[in-house]
Amino acid sequence: MHFSNYRQQFWEGVRDLLPLVSGVLPFGLIAGATGVALGMSPEMIMGMTVLFYAGSAQLAAYQLIQDNAPFVIIVLTSVVVNLRFAIYSATFAPLIAPLKARYRYPLAYLLSDQAYGLCNVPEQLNRSTGERLWYLTGVATSMCVAWILSVLLGVALGTSIPAHWSLEFTIPLAFLAMLVSTITSRLLFIVAVVAGLGAIAFQLLPYNLGFTLAVIAGVCCGIWLPGLVRRGGQSNG
Amino acid sequence: MDNLTLWGLFFAVGLGTYLVRLSFIQLHGSTQALLERSKTILMLLPPAILAALCIPAIVFQRPTTEYQLDWIQILAGLVTVLIAHFSRSVFWPVVGGMLCLWLARWLISGNAV
Repeated sequence: MHFSNYRQQFWEGVRDLLPLVSGVLPFGLIAGATGVALGMSPEMIMGMTVLFYAGSAQLAAYQLIQDNAPFVIIVLTSVVVNLRFAIYSATFAPLIAPLKARYRYPLAYLLSDQAYGLCNVPEQLNRSTGERLWYLTGVATSMCVAWILSVLLGVALGTSIPAHWSLEFTIPLAFLAMLVSTITSRLLFIVAVVAGLGAIAFQLLPYNLGFTLAVIAGVCCGIWLPGLVRRGGQSNG
Repeated sequence: MDNLTLWGLFFAVGLGTYLVRLSFIQLHGSTQALLERSKTILMLLPPAILAALCIPAIVFQRPTTEYQLDWIQILAGLVTVLIAHFSRSVFWPVVGGMLCLWLARWLISGNAV
């Protein structure tokens, strides 16, 4: 009886993920088709997809490969774009950490934005550990399958998409849309503006140095600005 | 970049990403303090990185060898921001921006002819 209950949780996870495929599919199509446009072979694109299992890092890597950025910068940037997974890792740690290694390692690989989003609604948090684990497994596996199939479809369609459609422009647009959703406070808005202006100002520096400098400028601004404002407020008052 | 370098790149990023995913799960219990301390930077990094990645690619024409503004791309970017402000998905803002790009290019090329 317990087992059938868990199986039900698994399929509930799969079912809840299905509507999100509408957002995953175009993203995967872009990731696949852009790889083809950059002249990469299908097995390379799919290898990259499976190794990364992170769409935004994959798009970031494409852009930096296109910009002829140095190896280290591309690796660091792609991993840093994925730093949000550290937050997911911390969130799921109480659930996944006690498991045996053979379950723990695959589940860690399967963590995604979608899994995080679906598994942390109040309705899920009130359930038992076993139920939550099976729900997470359902969501995370189906997400992984949906992602890989979407990229595969993008690779298949890639060559038939005309160059003058400028499909590669969807990459900065997708980042821009993600940027808007990450800006949840005035401070984060200022950080984004500083980093964006920095990237423009340092655009022509070699080795993609401008990108790194812009990110550092934005983050430093976000760290120091609240302190400066507070001190300024005190001296005025 | 040749294929071998690219594979090296993919493995390095894949490993790095996996370690990030595994990090707190593997070190569960001993990392609460570190997480608290790095929270601010973890929160500031995404907007900084995303802005630095996309703003130059939208504002300037490719390949970037000089500061050559591309007004159609900037317009498409503004449309994307506007839609993203109201819709939480990534899909519709990108669709809106691309439609704007194609429409504006078509209008301009039509006028030129």
